[in-house]
Amino acid sequence: MAMIQTVVRPERVHAVMKALLDAGFPAVTKMDVFGRGKQRGLKVGEITYDELPKEMLMLVVDDADKDLVIETIIKSARTGARGAYGDGKIFVLPVEASYTVSSGTLDGAK
Amino acid sequence: MKQIVAILRVDAMNRTKAALVQAGVAGFFARKVLGRGKGRVDFRVAYAAEAGRDEAIAHLKDDGPMLLPKRLVHVVVPDEKVQLAVSAIIEANRTGQPGDGRIFVLPVTDTVRIRTGERAEAALRED
Repeated sequence: MAMIQTVVRPERVHAVMKALLDAGFPAVTKMDVFGRGKQRGLKVGEITYDELPKEMLMLVVDDADKDLVIETIIKSARTGARGAYGDGKIFVLPVEASYTVSSGTLDGAK
Repeated sequence: MKQIVAILRVDAMNRTKAALVQAGVAGFFARKVLGRGKGRVDFRVAYAAEAGRDEAIAHLKDDGPMLLPKRLVHVVVPDEKVQLAVSAIIEANRTGQPGDGRIFVLPVTDTVRIRTGERAEAALRED
């Protein structure tokens, strides 16, 4: 299994979650985060904003679905025709085990 | 070392904290998140249907089930304590109803205690 952590624009969260739902991935955890990227934030005149508000989505999927999820997120989170700085990032982490608390069972070991 | 990432009920945090101390892993951090699971049933649809509000159901269907407040708990533990910590969390959170949460175990390659500069397992020792 793989954990997908993605940082996206707050105004795109709705579109990303809708796209994931339509692709068959309803289970998702959302959190407010602040961050900057390699552009070191936004510079407006004299002022630099380097703690830009973003939303982080976290989901755990089977390895087989990993590429589909990444593709879905890229398509829905990108802004403009060719994408723009600040559209976000996707991180993929290995998950060795996953348990469902309500049944107390191991869902699948690596 | 493993990182245990658990998405749990908000009202189970006190039980979870006590259980973790019992299991010998007191250190953790948690944050407020919103989330949903497989979501086969959206209770808003069920309520709206009961009240005969068809237009409300049509409006809700688009976005899928609503996000519910949850606690995301991160605990980093040495390999030998993983099973103990996972069972402690399950024990403390299990009601048998959907929504109890999920626990993921992720590998961690290094840990540093900032105060002392200790690395790896030494940085996780709690004594």
